[in-house]
Amino acid sequence: MAYFDYPGNFDVIIVGGGHAGCEAALAASGMGMKTLMITHDLDTIALMSCNPSIGGVGKGQIVRELDALGGHMARVTDFSTLSARMLNTSRGAAVHSPRAQCDKKLYQSAMKHALELADNLALIQDEAAQIWTEGSRLRGVITARNTRYTAGCVILTTGTFLNGVVHIGASSFRGGRYNHPPSDGLSPSLVALGFKLGRLKTGTPMRLNGRTIDFSECEEQKPDEPPALFSHFTGRTQRKLLSCWITRTGSRAAAVVRANLNKSPLYSGRIKSAGPRYCPSIEDKIVKFPHHPEHILFLEPEGFDTEEYYVNGLSTSLPEEVQLELVRSIKGLERAELMRAAYAIEYDYCPPQQLDYNLESRMLPGLFMAGQINGTTGYEEAAAQGLMAGINAALKLKNLAPLILGRDESYIGVMIDDLISKGVDEPYRIYTARAEYRLLLRQDNADLRLMPHGFRIGLVPERFKTGFDLYKNTVELFRSRDKRSISWSKACARKTPPDHQETDGAMAPWTRAKAEATAKIEKEYASYIALNLREAEKMKRFEHVIIPERLDLAAITGLCLESKQKLLKVRPGTLAQAARIPGITPTDIQLLWVHVSRMTKTNTKISDRGGRT
Amino acid sequence: MIIPDTTQTIVAPASAPGLGAIAVVRLSGPEAHNIASAFLKPLSAFKKPRPGTSYLLKAEENGRLLDKIVVIFYRAPKSYTGDDMVEIFCHGSPYIISRLLRLSIANGAREAAPGEFTLRAFMNGKLDLTQAEAVNDLIISESAASHRAAITQVEGEVSSRIRKLRGRLVDLLSELEVRLDDAYGELPALDSEAFAGRTAAAAAGIKTLADSFEHGRHLKHGLRVTIAGAPNSGKSSLLNRVADSDRAIVSPKAGTTRDTIEERINLSGFTVIFTDTAGISPAAEDAVEREGMRRSIKALKAADIILWVRDISKRDSSADRRVAAAIKRAAAPGTELIKVFNKSDLPPARGPGETAEGISISCRTGRGVDALKDLLVGEERKMFSAESSSVITSARHYSALLGAHGELTRIGGLVGHGPEFPLELAAEHLRGALNALADILGETTPEEILGRIFEKFCVGK
Repeated sequence: MAYFDYPGNFDVIIVGGGHAGCEAALAASGMGMKTLMITHDLDTIALMSCNPSIGGVGKGQIVRELDALGGHMARVTDFSTLSARMLNTSRGAAVHSPRAQCDKKLYQSAMKHALELADNLALIQDEAAQIWTEGSRLRGVITARNTRYTAGCVILTTGTFLNGVVHIGASSFRGGRYNHPPSDGLSPSLVALGFKLGRLKTGTPMRLNGRTIDFSECEEQKPDEPPALFSHFTGRTQRKLLSCWITRTGSRAAAVVRANLNKSPLYSGRIKSAGPRYCPSIEDKIVKFPHHPEHILFLEPEGFDTEEYYVNGLSTSLPEEVQLELVRSIKGLERAELMRAAYAIEYDYCPPQQLDYNLESRMLPGLFMAGQINGTTGYEEAAAQGLMAGINAALKLKNLAPLILGRDESYIGVMIDDLISKGVDEPYRIYTARAEYRLLLRQDNADLRLMPHGFRIGLVPERFKTGFDLYKNTVELFRSRDKRSISWSKACARKTPPDHQETDGAMAPWTRAKAEATAKIEKEYASYIALNLREAEKMKRFEHVIIPERLDLAAITGLCLESKQKLLKVRPGTLAQAARIPGITPTDIQLLWVHVSRMTKTNTKISDRGGRT
Repeated sequence: MIIPDTTQTIVAPASAPGLGAIAVVRLSGPEAHNIASAFLKPLSAFKKPRPGTSYLLKAEENGRLLDKIVVIFYRAPKSYTGDDMVEIFCHGSPYIISRLLRLSIANGAREAAPGEFTLRAFMNGKLDLTQAEAVNDLIISESAASHRAAITQVEGEVSSRIRKLRGRLVDLLSELEVRLDDAYGELPALDSEAFAGRTAAAAAGIKTLADSFEHGRHLKHGLRVTIAGAPNSGKSSLLNRVADSDRAIVSPKAGTTRDTIEERINLSGFTVIFTDTAGISPAAEDAVEREGMRRSIKALKAADIILWVRDISKRDSSADRRVAAAIKRAAAPGTELIKVFNKSDLPPARGPGETAEGISISCRTGRGVDALKDLLVGEERKMFSAESSSVITSARHYSALLGAHGELTRIGGLVGHGPEFPLELAAEHLRGALNALADILGETTPEEILGRIFEKFCVGK
């Protein structure tokens, strides 16, 4: 076969231009790597294939974290927001989460523009067909047009495209999205390399023409004014925000679903793979909760310049004619016209236990994966993984230690640790319930937690450093003012709290008010935070006990067979990671510890005993 | 999280379980001295204890003497583990050992995992690297030995009770988590009063179970064995034989033992309380003998096992029949009756058919006494295992339940804030309670909570 060998070498190639791919490309190129993004269609870069919404409980925190590390999602969201609310404000600050509806097209074009403007980043419209290897070494990517690109690292962010199959009622056809061809080559290429693949399912509801919706029959949900912003660096939103609308299914809708269950591929058994329990289809809701007389639906605009509305809560794989009947059985939608039908999609994913904690595959060094290919669901989860894969690919090529975030440090760390050590059996979504140190992982302190990493790796510009340091010190001052342990002079070289104008100018984009608010939250939670920190500290000691790659787990006597298999499957990097694998016992951990200590040839002191008498 | 926490102070018996006149309970960790000072008296011993010197102290529980014990203090790093350490040498009764463990745990220690002392010694550089394999083996063998008490190996009634309690905590936590992760505000508000009520009920259930550790009857009092029989059938001789002492006054004249005599004996590590009864005779003439009779009946009532002693060289007398009637009347249901035929060194007057129902011994020559002891040990084992299925017998479980209870009681204070109480803080305590129970039943994973949520609530978009 005749190949066109693209001149020059890339450092990093990203396959896919979705939410994971965009962050990966911007992170790698932002860290100075010569980067290439291959996408089959430049017009679908950063497309919100499902709900044009960013954030939500847990997800909102992730986007704030991503922003603190220097990612782009938060800024692009703020730019394209058309409606926004801070969720959970009736609850404690630990679970306050921002959520925004975005203008689908604005979001896409803003992200595409950011990619085009980025230094060191090339974009090419082509289909990645094969992972190019020589022996056991990664060479790069071969495309459907027979172009060969070489690179040190390749990041796969393929979304739902690997062997994607779309289902609407009884009809199904191959596709990575409704009207886009799937990727045929990459799955076989991964299998040939020895990767195990699995299958998952997700879906999206129908879209309606807003001019056919009777909003007077719906309940208005007004946006927050002014809306909370996702990015630490955004001043304020540009545009006048829009409302969303609420309606509910009733007994008629339930009757339509029940009468047509046999036509749903979910119930006829045609779709066998697991979908996210958090996004149940309307079939599931009505069958599993028959005693609920109604189910809430949100009608959400897809843009400023379109009448298209997203029907949040009405995912289904029923045939189109039933979808229409179903929609029209609902209050306010009696005369609604479908613009796009709801559908379900099945796709291949690569069980994430095959990755290391830096998102690099163990089988083929240099090959990274991020997003739905790792079994997750959600733009935010995907973007955060893309960012981490991009950062870690760059760190690897620079011969620097990987950036692995702790569970006590971020939701991103919780998610990646969960993926690698536990795997998934349904599309993985973040919940605050997954974080054992929930009170530490708040949206208000994402910057304090992670921005130091952002500065260190170079994705947050240096010019923000002075402001950040001043902000950090100001929080510390507010936090400890009662204790008198830290004086104002120490932090700000002055005796009294500086007034608003002075400080806000010096610490922009941060403000004194924000510092005070964060300090107040921490004071309210103080005793609980102290407990969380103590637990985290305990765990940290074991995070530092590295399990060497050369440790022969199979040869450790005393480990039961089941534990051995689990450890061999996950290959935990540290003792703490080993301890988090379900089913591992304290005895297993002790045995591992003994062997690790013996290997490292230095006795790890349990604690510093210097202070003891 | 399953991880050996090296900042905690750990406690465990350091001597082999079961046999042994003296047992060693070892405390190791930064708080070892403080914890021991909470129940070892006098306190002055703790002011400036000299490492390596033995102190004769008293162990007290609720102000009452538990045991006189010998204590050796160690200062880090000069100890076996390399931590601060206290070694308590006590009498080898399982009861005393379990009380010392309970006292240590109640004052902040945690029961050591199998091999954990040695692991600490190894990690603190007290053992050579070449000894690692030995550490390894020790951990393996000790975990095998403690299998019964280990996670998921709890059996019987206790296990199902703890499982049910844990299920209730999972339910309660899912009520909170679903609301904390509820982006759409679809769920009805939490009924805080009902929630507080359910939490308190779960806490009470856990407390009851934890308290059973204190009330484990056999563990606390030992097994009660009452020796009954006609005058001069050799009851006191039997007691002396078993106890290897001349505790009871024995004379050939009938009715020598006027009072009941108690003897605590360690049989295979179990405490057995033998009560030698006065002869049960209708001719009890004076007040002292009548009192003796009354006490004998009481001892029969309290017995777990009755040893009915008869003279093999004589046929059943009217005295024997009176004893039989007394046993029948006084023995509680479920009391084990063992027929003992004494004086097997004399020519038998009873047929082999009759003696086959029991065990023949000779207190004079000692023949058959060991067989009787073995029989008793077998009975003890049976009773202990029956008991351990309905009460907490492991210090580890006690400590876990105590921890869970402590967390739950703190939720009450939060809910007092009214319907808007901080769910995320109540969730912290429920998580804490479930973590504590992880020592018995393994971890509660977020997946389990999420599973419960999706089963019970219609959430999601």
